[in-house]
Amino acid sequence: MAGVTLRGVRKSFGRIEVIHGVDLEVADGEFVAFVGPSGCGKSTLLRLIAGLEEPSGGDLSIGGQRVNDRPPAARGIAMVFQSYALYPHMTAYDNMAFGLTLSRTDKGTIAERVRAAARLLQIEDLLDRKPRDLSGGQRQRVAIGRAIVREPQVFLFDEPLSNLDAGLRVQMRLEIAKLKADLRATMIYVTHDQVEAMTLADRIVVLNAGRVEQVGTPLELYHRPRNRFVAGFIGSPAMNFLDVVSEGRADGSVRVWLPGGVPLDIAVDGAAPRAGTPLTLGVRPEHVGLADGGAGLVATILAVERLGGETHCHAALEDGQRLLVRLDGDRPVSAGERLRLNLRGETAHLFGPDGQRL
Amino acid sequence: MDPKRMIGRIAFGLLVLGIVVWAVFPFAWAIITSLKAGSALFTVEAWPSQPSLANYAAIFKEQPFGRNILNSLLAASAVVALSLGLAVLAAYALGRVRFCGRGLLLFVVLGVSMFPQVAVLSGLFELVRWLGLYNRIGSLVLSYLIFTLPFTVWVLTTFMRELPKELEEAAMVDGAGPFVIVTRVFLPLMGPALAATGLLAFIAAWNEFLFALTFTLTDDARTVPVAIALMSGASQYELPWGQIMAASVVVTVPLIGLVLLFQRRIVSGLTAGAVKG
Ligand SMILES: Nc1ncnc2c1ncn2[C@@H]1O[C@H](COP(=O)(O)OP(=O)(O)OP(=O)(O)O)[C@@H](O)[C@H]1O
Ligand SMILES: [Mg+2]
Repeated sequence: MAGVTLRGVRKSFGRIEVIHGVDLEVADGEFVAFVGPSGCGKSTLLRLIAGLEEPSGGDLSIGGQRVNDRPPAARGIAMVFQSYALYPHMTAYDNMAFGLTLSRTDKGTIAERVRAAARLLQIEDLLDRKPRDLSGGQRQRVAIGRAIVREPQVFLFDEPLSNLDAGLRVQMRLEIAKLKADLRATMIYVTHDQVEAMTLADRIVVLNAGRVEQVGTPLELYHRPRNRFVAGFIGSPAMNFLDVVSEGRADGSVRVWLPGGVPLDIAVDGAAPRAGTPLTLGVRPEHVGLADGGAGLVATILAVERLGGETHCHAALEDGQRLLVRLDGDRPVSAGERLRLNLRGETAHLFGPDGQRL
Repeated sequence: MDPKRMIGRIAFGLLVLGIVVWAVFPFAWAIITSLKAGSALFTVEAWPSQPSLANYAAIFKEQPFGRNILNSLLAASAVVALSLGLAVLAAYALGRVRFCGRGLLLFVVLGVSMFPQVAVLSGLFELVRWLGLYNRIGSLVLSYLIFTLPFTVWVLTTFMRELPKELEEAAMVDGAGPFVIVTRVFLPLMGPALAATGLLAFIAAWNEFLFALTFTLTDDARTVPVAIALMSGASQYELPWGQIMAASVVVTVPLIGLVLLFQRRIVSGLTAGAVKG
């Protein structure tokens, strides 16, 4: 088993640079998820680690060894592709055994390892079927089995569940969680599904336009997003952002004025911005409460979406700024109604003009 | 049925009939002629009144026709094997490896096939002599590759490009080098393309005339098309039509057999060729 280290890794396709110097340390046995908007370079970064792309700069090491110049097969990695990439003309068994056959492992060992992996993934009965006779979920298992059989130091997954339907995805997610516990190998997992990232990963790497925005545990990212991008990307439904104006510091916190003249005090780490600086206030929809008394932020409901378990109210504040409020499933609200909202300083986030957390 | 549709159907039927006659008549004529003996050749009839296999016996007796068939078979098989082998390797390079000048190279390959055969004939003749292949099958194999390679390379390159990239990458992660990827991952998926291009190459080589005429001298070294063309009768002024037709039938039947044999593979390969994992 081994960790993975990236130092200033860059990648350009032709003249266009898509990865702009990534530094990352993945510990031995850790499960790290890469998330980010489409086209931000998640797959490219994973393929750089796999050795399917050559870095234009920087160093890459696996298990303490520099692997920049090693071919994929000599890096101690295994990769699971989004489209499974099973060899169509081989049975599931041969698909899983192919890598070992090429490295001239003896037949007995191959059979043993393939059967062990098949048992783990519960595909023992399917071993002599061709990929076309397997369902999507079964194919994905064979693809994962092919990775396991190689006994890699690092598993790389590129959106492995995105071709499956919703129900199967939940099931496979639980199986990957189980796999993670059973194998104790280092795993790097690319996904655009937040739930997968939040539930599976020890740490999440948020990428944006070829740069790392933040690395942290799922709850760190949720509770203390480093900047506006991460704040808006992590969490569903997405965080509300309101334009506010700083009034200056008041004993360890910054006071801002909300539309309608409501003050709010928010604890900050850094230096307080001068009074009058325009700031962005971030509040998650689940952290907007209804005020009991007469005081509070006045909002008019524009639309109500009922999801059964919860209700999403799209509301407009007095100055026209939009806000999404998440309420209980059966709260009796309807469009056109006026609400009095209650924001709390502990669950609000404040971002400076440069988008960084204060 | 209303008359309009009726007329339409009849017209369609006639059209189909016309096409079938146009396609089949020459071959049927050859079979009929080959069964006629002596002067019956010059009477027009739908089926010979006294069909005889004398012509068929004669072609094998009066010249080494069996040997000619063997020559053709050897030359065509060698051409198919060589052009498929070379084309698969070339297709991997041209279809999957990015290198500078790839497009240009593809067009050069195509350009080679645009020269008429006569244009390269004398140059090739010198080459064949220099290699000591004159009057040998080797000269034919070498020269036939000139026209089979361009299209086998093109077809296989196109086909290879369509194969998913992730398949190759999965094999690379599994530790396969380019040769293993070509032979153990791509080749098994290329059955239909190989069957189709191999068949076309075989037919082209089997029917080739000009090179075969130029590069062979003796009866023993000739291939079938040349042997048929050079068949002569008892006198200079007499062409043994019956025997020529019999010989043509004999050499066409294996081709039809081959097409029928591989047709199933081509079609089944195309439908079952769901490459996507
Ligand atoms: N082979 C290539 N040649 C040129 N540009 C490429 C190549 N591969 C990727 N790119 C570009 O690099 C950027 C990052 O692509 P990448 O596939 O890593 O995105 P991603 O984060 O995986 O997106 P998605 O979530 O859609 O899979 C994109 O802008 C893409 O157009
Ligand atoms: Mg991707």
